[in-house]
Amino acid sequence: MPVLTQQARHAAGAAGVAGAPVLDVQHIEKIYGSRSNVTHALRDVSFTVNQGDFVGIMGASGSGKSTLLNCVSTIDKVTSGSVIVNGEDVTRLKSQQLTKFRREQLGFIFQDSNLLDTLTARENIALPLTISRVPAKETLARVTEVAGRLGIRETLDKYPYQLSGGQQQRVAAARALVTNPAIIMADEPTGALDSKNARLLLESFETMNRTYRATVLMVTHDSFAASYTQRVLFIRDGRIFTELRRGGSTRQEFFDRIMEVVAMMGGEGSDAL
Amino acid sequence: MLCKIALGNVRRVGKDYLVYLLTLTLAVTVFYAFNTISLQVDIAGVTEQNSGMGDLLGGIINGLTLFLAFVMGFLMVYANNFIMKRRKKEFGLYQVLGMSRGQVARIMALETFFVSLVSLVLGLVLGVGLSQLMVFFTASLFKTQIANFHFFFSFGAFMITVGCLLAIFLVTLVFNLRVVARAKIIDLMSASRQNENIKVRNPWLSAAVFVVGVALIGVSYARLLQDGLPYDGQPEAMTAFLVTTIMVVVGTILFFLGLSGFLLKALQAARGLYWRGLNMVTMRQLAAKVNTVSFSMAMIAMILFLAITSVTAGMSLASVMNESVERGTPFDYTRVLVYFGPQAVAEENAYAEANGDSTRYAVATEPIDLVEASKADTVGEGTADAHPFDVSQIAGGHVQVDVYDSTPLGADAPLVTLNQLCDATDMEMPSGVDSTGTAELGLGVVKESVYNAYLRYRGMDEIDLGANGYTIISDMGATLNDIYNAALAQGVEIDFNGHALRPVSDRVNEEASAFQNAMFGMNTGTIVVPDSYVEEANLPLYYGYLMVDYADGISTEEGDAFINELRTYHPITNDAGEIVAGWGSEATRTQSYESVDSMNGLISYLAIYIGFVLVLACAAILTIQQLSGVADASPNYRILAELGTPTRQIMHSTLVQQAIFFVFPLFIGVAHSCVALSVIVKLVQLFGGFTIGGAVGLTAFIFLVAYGGYFYVTYLMSKGIVRDAIRARHSL
Repeated sequence: MPVLTQQARHAAGAAGVAGAPVLDVQHIEKIYGSRSNVTHALRDVSFTVNQGDFVGIMGASGSGKSTLLNCVSTIDKVTSGSVIVNGEDVTRLKSQQLTKFRREQLGFIFQDSNLLDTLTARENIALPLTISRVPAKETLARVTEVAGRLGIRETLDKYPYQLSGGQQQRVAAARALVTNPAIIMADEPTGALDSKNARLLLESFETMNRTYRATVLMVTHDSFAASYTQRVLFIRDGRIFTELRRGGSTRQEFFDRIMEVVAMMGGEGSDAL
Repeated sequence: MLCKIALGNVRRVGKDYLVYLLTLTLAVTVFYAFNTISLQVDIAGVTEQNSGMGDLLGGIINGLTLFLAFVMGFLMVYANNFIMKRRKKEFGLYQVLGMSRGQVARIMALETFFVSLVSLVLGLVLGVGLSQLMVFFTASLFKTQIANFHFFFSFGAFMITVGCLLAIFLVTLVFNLRVVARAKIIDLMSASRQNENIKVRNPWLSAAVFVVGVALIGVSYARLLQDGLPYDGQPEAMTAFLVTTIMVVVGTILFFLGLSGFLLKALQAARGLYWRGLNMVTMRQLAAKVNTVSFSMAMIAMILFLAITSVTAGMSLASVMNESVERGTPFDYTRVLVYFGPQAVAEENAYAEANGDSTRYAVATEPIDLVEASKADTVGEGTADAHPFDVSQIAGGHVQVDVYDSTPLGADAPLVTLNQLCDATDMEMPSGVDSTGTAELGLGVVKESVYNAYLRYRGMDEIDLGANGYTIISDMGATLNDIYNAALAQGVEIDFNGHALRPVSDRVNEEASAFQNAMFGMNTGTIVVPDSYVEEANLPLYYGYLMVDYADGISTEEGDAFINELRTYHPITNDAGEIVAGWGSEATRTQSYESVDSMNGLISYLAIYIGFVLVLACAAILTIQQLSGVADASPNYRILAELGTPTRQIMHSTLVQQAIFFVFPLFIGVAHSCVALSVIVKLVQLFGGFTIGGAVGLTAFIFLVAYGGYFYVTYLMSKGIVRDAIRARHSL
C-alpha cells in the first residue's frame, strides 16, 4: 500500500532525516499562447524543498506564483524543465500515472475549501483514502485522529453548508493531511477568511508541520500568512526574485522582514501584491 | 444586433440546447407522421375494404394528438427551464451591461424561435420520410396490399404540427419572459451559487418512507389481484378500485421519495462497501438530487406503467381476435334469428296496445326454417327487379340449429344455470360474471338430433346421449369453459325437468360450438339433451342459427356480393300474422376477417402511438434531469479529479447514478404492469385464449431501444460534461 510507504517515510522524517529534498524544481519554464502572442509565465525557476519544510510563495497577481504551484502540483504542464518529487520526475509521467501521483503524493488546499457539498465533513476527509481503497476501519480511525489534531472533531457529521468558512478550510486541511502526502499544496488558503479564522487555519498548518512533519508549500499574497512559514520565495515576472528564511526569528520579526521585501518589490498598499 | 447575439448564443450553448432540440425534433417527427394516418390508410388500401377506417383513425389520432401535445408542451417547458437555470447569470450580465429587460427578453424569444424553427424543419423532414415508411407498416398492421405507392405530403398534418409547435413555443416564451421580468439582477448574477442549497433529509426517515411505500404498493397489488377490475360498474367495486389506485399512486411516490435514503442506509450498514472508492459519493449525490427528482421519477414510473399496460393489453387483445376469428368463423355466411320470449311478447303487446298499434306479438311454437324465412327480405325493393332474398341460390349446403331457452313456459327459473354448475363443482364464480344477472340466467338448450345434424354438416363425429345423457358446448375462453369442463369431468348430475341427466363426454368440444361467424366466441354455454326431454319441458325458442357454405361454382366474391346486396328486412310472423321473431346479426366469413384486421390495426396503431410518445417523453425528462444534475455536480467532479480520482472511476459513479434513475422507474413501471396485466388477462380469457407475445415482444424491444438510447445519450453527454469539468483548470 502506498500509504504504508508514506508512513515509513513519515517515520523516517520524524526520526531526524530532515533535510532530504522532497521537491526539486529544476529550470522550469512555462509559456502560454501561440507564436504571435506569447506569455512567459515562468522563466527558469529552480528551488528545492526539504522534508518537513513550510514554504511560502509570494508574488503579485500575474507574477506566476499560481502557475508555479499548478506546475509543481501537476495540474498544469511545464514547457521545459523538471519537477522531481521524491526522486521521481513528475513531468515525465503519463496522465494515469499523474492521477496516481496526485492521489498518493500530494494534498491540496484551495482558497475556497473545495469540499464536496453532498458529503459530510467526515466523508470529505475520508475521500482520498476511500479512493485509494484503504480499508474502512483504518480510514475511519485516521479521519478521527486527524480531525482531533485540527480541532474539528465535533463538526465531523455536519455538511459543508453547516460549517463556517474557517471550519471548512480546516476540513480541507484535514483532507489534504489524511493521506500523509509528500507535499501539501495550499493555494491562497486564507484568501476567503476573516483574520480570526485565517489565524486559526495557519495555526493548524503549523500543527501539521510540527506534529506530522508535513511538508507544506503555500502560495499567498498575504504577508501575515507568509509569516507563519519557515521560508518565503518571492516571485516577480516569472522569476524567483528573492528568498527569505525565518531561521531563529520570531513570527513578528519574520513578518517585518517580509514586509520590507514586499515594499521593495512595489508596496503592498498599492495592491500590487 | 439582438438577432446576432441570439444566434451566437444558440451556437455557443448548443450542448444545452441539444436535448431541447432533439426532443422537439422527435416530437415534430412523431406528430407529423402519425397525423398523416388518414392518408396512409388510403395508400395502404385499408379504405378499400373499410371505408370508414381512415376517418375513424384520423379522428381518434387528432384527438390524441391534442392530449399528447399537452404532454409534449409540459416537457418542452421543463427542458427550457433546464437551459434557463443554466443561463441566469448570462442574462443578468446583459442587464448589468445596460440592456433593458425588453431587449433581453427579445434575445431569449429569438433564441427559442431559432431552435423551434430548426426542430420544425428537421422534424418535418424526418416526419415526411417516416410517414412514407409507415405506409408499409400500416399495410402490414391492417393486412392489406399497397396498390400504388407514391410520395405524399399531408397539408392537414403539417398544419396540426405547426399549430402544436406554435402553442408550445408561446407557452415556453411566457415562462421565459417571466423569469427575466421577475428576477432581480443580483439573483441572476448569483444564480450559479444559489443552485447549491442542498437540503438533506434524515436518512432514517427516508428509509421509513421507503418501507411504507413498498408496503402500500404490496397491499395494492394484493387488492387488485383479489378484486380484479371493476368493469361491471358496481359502485362498491369502483370505490374499492379507486382506493387501490390511490394506494398504488401514493405508494409509488413514497417509494421514490424514500429510495435514496433507503439505499444510503442499506449501504452504510455495509461499512466496507460504503467507505470504498466513490460509493459514498455516488450515494450522497443520489440522496442530494432526490428532493428535486423523486416526484418526477414516480410520475415516469406511472406513465411507463400506463404505456406498457396499454400497449401490451391492446396488442394482445388484437392477437386474441386473430386466433378466435379462425375458430369463430367456420362458415361462409351465417344469420341469426332472435325469437321473442314470453316476457318480451307480453311487454311488446302491452306497448302496442297502449299506443293503439295493431301489431301483435306471440311466442313461436315451432322452429322457423331460416332459408324460407329469409325470402321475406326483399332485394332492391322499389326497383323493377325487386326479388326475394333466396340464400339457396348460392348455398352449396346449409345447416340450421335451433336453441331453446332453458326456462320452461310458465316457469320462472331456468332448468340449468351457471350458478348451479359452480356449486356442484365447487368452483368460484368467475369475476365479471358474478354480481351480474348473467349467473342466474340459464344455459341454452339444443336437441340431440339438431346438434348431430350440425356435427354431420361439419364432418365431425356425432354424439350419442343415450337415454339420460347430456353434454355442454361453448366457444368462450378458459374462464367459463373451466367450469363446464369440471362439470363434465366430475360427472355432475343435472335435474332436467325431473329427469336426472349425466354427462357423456368429459370436456367441452370448443371446435364444435360455433353457430355464427364472429370475432369472439359467442356461444356462452349450451346444453345438449335428448330430443324428447326438450319437447316434454315445453321450452320457448331462443335463437335460430343459419349456417351456409357457398356452392362449388360460386366464388367467395360472388357469394359475398350476393349477400351484401341492399335488402329490406321484414319481421317474421306466424300464420295468425303475429310477430314471433326478428333478425339478429349476419356475417360473411370475409366480413369477420376484415373487421378483425381493422380492429387489430386500429388497436395496435393507437397502442404504439400513445406508448411511443409517452415513453419518449419520459426518457426525455429523465435525460434533461440527469444532464442538469451532472452539470450542477460538475464542481464536485472537478474536486474529485484534483484529489487524484481516476477519470474512469468518476465516470463509473455517474453511470451508476444514471442507471438508478433510469432503471428504477422502468422497474416499478414493469412491476405495476405485470400485476395489472395478470388481472386483465383473466378478464380477456372470458373471450378466448389470451397470450402476450409476438408483436408485443417486438414493440417492447423497440421501446426498450428508444429508452435505452436516451440512457446511452445521457451517459455520453454527461461524460462530456464531466470531462469538461475536469479539464477546466482550477483558476481562482
